[in-house]
Amino acid sequence: MNTQFKKGIVEMCILSLISRKDMYGFEVIDTLAKAIDVNENTVYPILRRLTAQGFFETYVEQTNIGAPRKYYRMTDFGRKKLNQYETEWRSFLEGVLKILGGNYEG
Amino acid sequence: MKDKYLHTLRKVLEEHQALANDIDDILNDYEQLYNDALASGKTDDEVWHILGDPKEVAKDLIDTIHLKKEKDIKTKIVASMPFISLIIFFLLGFTKNLWHPGWLVFLMIPISAILFETKLKDGIVGIMPFISVITFLILGWGYDLWHPGWVVFFAIPIVAIIVNVDLKDIPVSLSPFIATIVFIILGVQYELWHPGWLVFLIIPMIGTLYHKNKVQVLVLELSYILAISFYLYVGYTYDKWYLGAIGFILPFSFSIIFGVIKITVDIRNDKKARIFVGLVLAIIFLFFALGFGLHGWVWAWQVLLLIPMAAIIIYDKLRFTSLMPFISVILFFSIGYFFTLFHLSWLAFLLIPLVAVIENA
Repeated sequence: MNTQFKKGIVEMCILSLISRKDMYGFEVIDTLAKAIDVNENTVYPILRRLTAQGFFETYVEQTNIGAPRKYYRMTDFGRKKLNQYETEWRSFLEGVLKILGGNYEG
Repeated sequence: MKDKYLHTLRKVLEEHQALANDIDDILNDYEQLYNDALASGKTDDEVWHILGDPKEVAKDLIDTIHLKKEKDIKTKIVASMPFISLIIFFLLGFTKNLWHPGWLVFLMIPISAILFETKLKDGIVGIMPFISVITFLILGWGYDLWHPGWVVFFAIPIVAIIVNVDLKDIPVSLSPFIATIVFIILGVQYELWHPGWLVFLIIPMIGTLYHKNKVQVLVLELSYILAISFYLYVGYTYDKWYLGAIGFILPFSFSIIFGVIKITVDIRNDKKARIFVGLVLAIIFLFFALGFGLHGWVWAWQVLLLIPMAAIIIYDKLRFTSLMPFISVILFFSIGYFFTLFHLSWLAFLLIPLVAVIENA
């Protein structure tokens, strides 16, 4: 699969995961890796970029394994964008599935 | 492993001129990721794979980091250098009638690009062809020392070796160049081509010092000294140099017995090394052939530039950016010298930044 295309999908998955609950970096990587075939090393750069673009905000929480941990929380702006991406993605996917199933108007 | 990973990542980010705040932030995050991954039961190798190669990580992060202002300033200096050079060139020309050698100011263009846009090590290596050319021209025009002024070009491979080779390997790596320079000086200044060639024995003598068994080192070094003394004694006393040469069987035999002569074996097994050694010998032969045969000492030194070029092509990726400093020097000097067009041939140096921009775009 095209790398850029895949990165776009991973980006949306990350947005979706963090929209449901606040997560820390490795938790995102681990959850994604268990669900889909993903290059784990691309996740943190995406997290950092989305944070810089205002989709997430971060806060620090103490842990029992030593150093405090950084959590990612979705912002209102991020939620709005995710809704928009989801609508676009579902419509795109619907079209693709139609074509793959031979169910389209010529 | 964790410290090594974080250290490498820091180094790569610093090379990208990232701001200290960004570097600290990213390093903190990666330390957390590393700890969390270890805590989940992953091994160091697995964690390294999950987080990715630090160099690739840094590339992926580049659009999320702030670059140092210093980098912007450096880029601006490099970008404005052609105009600055042109202004200085016209000022020198119109006010002082120094069109020649005023054109030398154009060397500031590639020099500034190399100094500001490359890493320190690469910058020092890249700048050497220019320093050598300028020194050579000063020696030539100023003191008519074209020959043996070309010796300054040995500074190019010598500096490249000093900068890139481990400290302990520097003496053995430099020994062939030092020996060649001493040999040429002995030959040219004192007509001592023979037995001046004996200086080349410092190459195996220094190489022997790296042998682990110190007693064997002592025996070998003494055998060299004995062989040289015997050669000189028999040669000068009885004028029978070929008989004196028999003495060299001694260090040669010890070298084989002690297993010191294994470079040959390595070269045989290493195709690249074999090609490189062959080329170096051919280039040196060509240089002397041009020098002695055509009395081309003034220009024959240029073939020596083929040695570092061959090293780059054989041992590194074929990148024209790395080769351009050498190609430019050859174009600059050949066009200038053979066609007396030094006032135009400096344009060859513009090829360096031009090629770098095209190749790295």
